[in-house]
Amino acid sequence: MTVRLNPDLLPNLLISIQQSKMNEATATNQMASGRSVNQPSEDPAATAALVRNHDQSAQDEQFLKNLNNLRGRFQVADSTMSNIVQVMTRAVTLGTEGANGTLSSTDRQALAGEVLGLLKQTLGLANASYQGAFLFGGTAVNSQPFTLDPATNAVTYSGNSKTTSIQLTTGNFTNANVPGDQLFLNSSGSVFGSLQNLYSALVSGNNVDTAVTEVSSALKQLGTQRVFYGNVLNQINLSESFLNQDKVNLGEQENGLVGADLAAVVANYSQAEVANQATISAAGRILGQKTLLDYMV
Amino acid sequence: MGSLSASLNIALQSMLAEQGAIETTSNNIANANTPGYSRQRPDLEEMPPVKLGGITLGAGVQMTQVSSLRDKVLELRIDQETQQQGQLNSFISGGQQVQVLFNETSGTGLQAPLSNFFNSLSELSTNPSDLTTRQNVITAAQNLANAFNQTSTNLATLQRNTDLAAQQSVTQINSLITQIAQVNQQVVAATTTGGNAGPFEDQRQQLIGKLSNYIDVAEVDAGNNSLTLTTAGGSALVVGGQSFALTTNADPVTGFQNVYSNGNNITSKIMGGELAGQVQIRDQEIPGIQNSLDALAFQLSTAVNQQNQAGFDLNGSAGGNIFNALAQQGGAAASLRVSITDPGKIAASGGPAPGTPGDNTNANALLALQNQNFISGLTPTNFYSNLVFKIGNDISSAETNQSSGGQVLLQLQNLQGGISGVDINEEAANLMRFQNAYQASAQVSSIINRLMDVTMNMMG
Repeated sequence: MTVRLNPDLLPNLLISIQQSKMNEATATNQMASGRSVNQPSEDPAATAALVRNHDQSAQDEQFLKNLNNLRGRFQVADSTMSNIVQVMTRAVTLGTEGANGTLSSTDRQALAGEVLGLLKQTLGLANASYQGAFLFGGTAVNSQPFTLDPATNAVTYSGNSKTTSIQLTTGNFTNANVPGDQLFLNSSGSVFGSLQNLYSALVSGNNVDTAVTEVSSALKQLGTQRVFYGNVLNQINLSESFLNQDKVNLGEQENGLVGADLAAVVANYSQAEVANQATISAAGRILGQKTLLDYMV
Repeated sequence: MGSLSASLNIALQSMLAEQGAIETTSNNIANANTPGYSRQRPDLEEMPPVKLGGITLGAGVQMTQVSSLRDKVLELRIDQETQQQGQLNSFISGGQQVQVLFNETSGTGLQAPLSNFFNSLSELSTNPSDLTTRQNVITAAQNLANAFNQTSTNLATLQRNTDLAAQQSVTQINSLITQIAQVNQQVVAATTTGGNAGPFEDQRQQLIGKLSNYIDVAEVDAGNNSLTLTTAGGSALVVGGQSFALTTNADPVTGFQNVYSNGNNITSKIMGGELAGQVQIRDQEIPGIQNSLDALAFQLSTAVNQQNQAGFDLNGSAGGNIFNALAQQGGAAASLRVSITDPGKIAASGGPAPGTPGDNTNANALLALQNQNFISGLTPTNFYSNLVFKIGNDISSAETNQSSGGQVLLQLQNLQGGISGVDINEEAANLMRFQNAYQASAQVSSIINRLMDVTMNMMG
């Protein structure tokens, strides 16, 4: 005695057809989107990880944008410094010339005039700005940091001595500026002070030697300070390559989380298609089968 | 001693019985595709024998009844599985609409606006005096607030729609239990008058199956083939010929419809069927997600405001709020707004007062919130990522249960089909058997007829 089977095979067949259709649809979806996960319920853990991945990737993207902007600013600052170094070098040359005792007063005055020009040029450079913000005013970036008193030729600093700290990559901070007073009015070598003194010395013809030495030591001091900009530019480059690598890693991680293995998906699709065709053809045969009634006459 | 007329009677009786059997078979074939139909079997029995002068003679055949073939335990199991499937189906369908709002695989959701907001602060920290950069922070904050508002509104809409669906389920349930009560009476009437209650039972079973799709049903045999239906929690639905309609009443707090049975609120006690899934989505799933969104919106905006207050704006004033100050966490996601339009009001600078335009100390502090564990012990992104996981996982678990339950249901339905389903081949075989028997009895009566003729002629 065999167990009586369900004579109605239709529900089973329909479920099989539906299942293979669903597999086809899933594979089609994955092919179209290139992703193996197309909604959170398909892989909740991968989707949650994807949220963190995309966030990290967006942060990296922003850091790269920041770095690009910072590089522009530091390059401008660095080349300004480089110009000032040239100006100072020229001042040393002029001073050395002026220290020569055989020079006439008229010649010295001419040299003094040129030094005053250099002083004003340096002033202009020290008041350099980048995208509307003064580069050497500490954090007082909205007002011109250096002003020249035309009577005394003394330069006063109206910026502040604050430094800012900027994040290059998550948690990796660097100083973003050197205050102008530290750069150009440094007590161990003042750019403006030494130029002012050189000018006065040349005008009076006294102590020109000392004034030249002063300018030289200010130049040396400036060179020391300038190293900072080079260092930051280096750090920017390093951070940039780190971020680019991180982005590649994140991209790979994303692909591992939700990327579709196209070869496998295509295979799945073909498999589903074959299964679907087979079930349909089986259903056609089973449902079209003759019954005992067909043989009764 | 037998008699010709007795023989004739037996043959005629037999023809009647086979005729009944053929009719039953024909009915089976006719209903082969009728949903809920249980195949019927003609019950043929020997007639009580006749004792004539010490000899016991058979008295032929009779068809005593037509019985429907069914397995009540299987039917009960199918109903139970149907209730579970109904619940899971409506939960999954509701959940899928919810997860569309958080489909981070296609970039829909809060991750992008959240990251963009912090990115705008990241840019601000490198260029605190720039007005365009400051304006970008306000725009990003507005986009974030909009994203919270939109998601919260969409969730509320889904919740209202689910509430409507739940009301429709209650209407369906009430209509079904009214019908079941009527059919229940017909079953009892047919049973007590000794008739075949099978067709009515089929009808009742089919209605209970439909009811199971909407709500959890427990069956109690009340005698005479009558069924008492209650919810699994014991609230009466059908007793004899009487049905007890469920009613709905708006909840004073949420405004959503609670389900009442005889004046008792049974909303949270509904364990199966679509209604249970709908209540689950409406009263647990969506409120849970709303809560998380509110927590994120509230704690994030509060922290951002506090940090902004700690700094100094571009005009040298102490910082104020960037987002509107929310009084409470409840409803925070829906009511979050950006309260400033002046880009100068962002307090990027640290102290001492009045701060300086190029100072980014406070902008750095605002940005640092991105990686601080201050949203219920997590960073904003990790908190949100956990929420996305929960939403996906709830649906995914329900889908796993639905799929395994669906397999069980299919198995049970196959077993039931094995008992109650009409097999055309089997019916054809029976038809032939009954046809042969009918023809044979007709032949017998014709022979007896001839014998009677012979006997009559002997007299002539």
